[in-house]
Amino acid sequence: MKTHTLLLLSCLALASPAGAQDPPALSIRPFIMGAEQTFTASDTFDTVFETTRGPFFGGGVQVVIADQFVIEAGASRFKQDGERVFRTNAGSIFRLGIPLTATIVPFELTGGYRFPVSERVRPYVAAGFGSYSYKETSEFADDPENLDVRKSGFVVNGGAEVRLHRWMAVAADVQYSRIKGILGDGGISEQVGEDDLGGVSLRFKFIVGR
Amino acid sequence: MRVFRARVSLITILVGAGLVLSLRAQTIKELRLGMASVGLPAVDLGLRMDEIRGPATADSPKRQAIKASMQAAAGASRARGARVLVKFIEGLPSAARLSAVADVSRSAVMTTAPAYADFDIVQVAPNEDAAAVALAFGDRSDVEYAQVAHTFHTMFVPNDPLYAGSQWNLPMINLEKAWDIQPQAGSSITVAVLDSGMAYQNATFTPILPAFIDEDGTRYPSLGRVTIPYSAAPQLVGAAGAGRLVAPHDFIWDDNEPFDFDGHGTHVSGTVGQLTNDSVGTAGVAFNVKLMPVKVIDSVWDFLFFAPNQGTDDTVARGVRYAADNGAKVINMSIGRTGPSAPAVESAIRYAVGRGVFIAISGGNEFEEGNPTEVIAEIASRVPGAVSVAAVDRSRAHAFYSSTGSYIELAAPGGAGRGFGTAGGVFQQTFDPTFTDTFLLPPAQFRAPRFDVLGYIPYQGSSMASPHVAGIAAMLMQQGITDPAAIEEALENTAIDLGTPGRDDTFGFGLVDARAALRGLGLAK
Repeated sequence: MKTHTLLLLSCLALASPAGAQDPPALSIRPFIMGAEQTFTASDTFDTVFETTRGPFFGGGVQVVIADQFVIEAGASRFKQDGERVFRTNAGSIFRLGIPLTATIVPFELTGGYRFPVSERVRPYVAAGFGSYSYKETSEFADDPENLDVRKSGFVVNGGAEVRLHRWMAVAADVQYSRIKGILGDGGISEQVGEDDLGGVSLRFKFIVGR
Repeated sequence: MRVFRARVSLITILVGAGLVLSLRAQTIKELRLGMASVGLPAVDLGLRMDEIRGPATADSPKRQAIKASMQAAAGASRARGARVLVKFIEGLPSAARLSAVADVSRSAVMTTAPAYADFDIVQVAPNEDAAAVALAFGDRSDVEYAQVAHTFHTMFVPNDPLYAGSQWNLPMINLEKAWDIQPQAGSSITVAVLDSGMAYQNATFTPILPAFIDEDGTRYPSLGRVTIPYSAAPQLVGAAGAGRLVAPHDFIWDDNEPFDFDGHGTHVSGTVGQLTNDSVGTAGVAFNVKLMPVKVIDSVWDFLFFAPNQGTDDTVARGVRYAADNGAKVINMSIGRTGPSAPAVESAIRYAVGRGVFIAISGGNEFEEGNPTEVIAEIASRVPGAVSVAAVDRSRAHAFYSSTGSYIELAAPGGAGRGFGTAGGVFQQTFDPTFTDTFLLPPAQFRAPRFDVLGYIPYQGSSMASPHVAGIAAMLMQQGITDPAAIEEALENTAIDLGTPGRDDTFGFGLVDARAALRGLGLAK
């Protein structure tokens, strides 16, 4: 609770002063975000974590220009514990009781357009690039067997922002990301032929500013 | 490998020549067992480097003519978060230390400084990156060093004195790190060893030894009634005694007393599950498994004691079914033969695998004798859940005797004296052949055998390779891979490729790697 309060206060502190009526020419808007991503590498994630989805939490800042163009920089984090497995070629899975932790930290930069359809609701689309850190550690691993890599990928998203207050808004969008070069060269992902760490995310943002 | 035909020539000679004299009238038990469980403990001669036993050794033609607590329960510890060890500069006040902790981490909490340490311990929440916290501490001028308290794991190296110097075979298959993953070493699994029996209890035998003629036509005199001491291999049964054994059975004598009168079965059993880390002798692969000795091979002495059955297809088939029906989860068959197909044995193997039993079968030792197809090993190649195992020598090269063919699926250390001397053998505790193989002596020196003198004897053969695989299979079973076919896949997928890239006829899918098989796969690594 304390952390959330601090985050909210930080957002408020960073927010540009809201205009009384007209939107500002330039608005800097911090946001916090939660997302649920369905991973493209569904067999890989399902085998190790028994789920193809996982939550990301993070935040960032948006720069809105002339109320129509938006540049967004954000970071988030996914962390999931599972266990190492053996998977037969026929798909039978045997869990080996060896703890494994995967952590994904995306840094994403996107640019987009906000459709001026109403004062209260602003649909938007955006696209951009990301840098994705991936760490995989497991019990009994020698150092070279733990993975700590960073690769780039691209994202596109689209959604709508709903203004709740003149300096507060919420947004929901769907984002697709594609991240190559991390999965597919080893482990279960290689066995099942999956090489994309990205996926489709349903994202919710709480935005402070106009 | 003890092939079924191992004693055929002697049997033929004896029966054909009619020189068994007047001893056939005596009952089996009179001939064989004096007092079970009554006998002195074994005489342990320790490491024996005199000679290597197995195929292609000096006396093998004559012999052949006659013959693994704790689950790494690390899951709970992961949830506790990490600890960062922080060494502040000398004399920094407590308030300043607490302030530093608050500066670098939102979740870190200073714990009470332990009396034994010159550093403080900072507890970091599970969802915070402890490494980043340590780095942040390290960047401060009031901190000498900071590091995450990484988890150590055991680097288990058995303290058995012969392990380090003589057992090259176990590190070769990456067993030390496999034991780190599974310190229980298969404790809930029963491995049946279908072989020449096992030295599993003390006894005294009082048979009448008949005269016989060896393959060279030399006549050996009858010794009359003799007293033969017999001792359990202490490194197999240990203090647990018979508690380690499950449903022993003897299909050569049709009873529940599978005494080993050869040494082969005892040696093979040792590789599967020799008592380990007890500061004595050698180590075994799955050193906590339960052992089921199932005797399906008759030795020279079984024959001379007038055993009613021989190690033929029906005997072996009965043994396989018996093991599957009595709780074995893994069967080791360091046996085989060439010649016509063996449908009875194949049916039994399929029956056992169908009941969830993994089977390791030695691949054969006749590479230099025309390299004929090993019939039982060939069955394994057609049954998912049964594997045929070729042998490699101390340099991970093809063991000179190890049969090759399309049926070879895996390789494991079988040892080889050629080029390495006795140090190239696979060592385990078994009978000292000097005291058991008295039929190799000239007739004038022929005497009753003693089965109470044991040592750590080097053997070579695919018989020695197969129990390595059986032991790892037991560990995989305990690790959670319960399907025999899946075990075979795990072993083959994680084997170290040797020879021609990919599967080949010499090494199959490669040298078995215990640690890789037990460790499985993560998402990307």
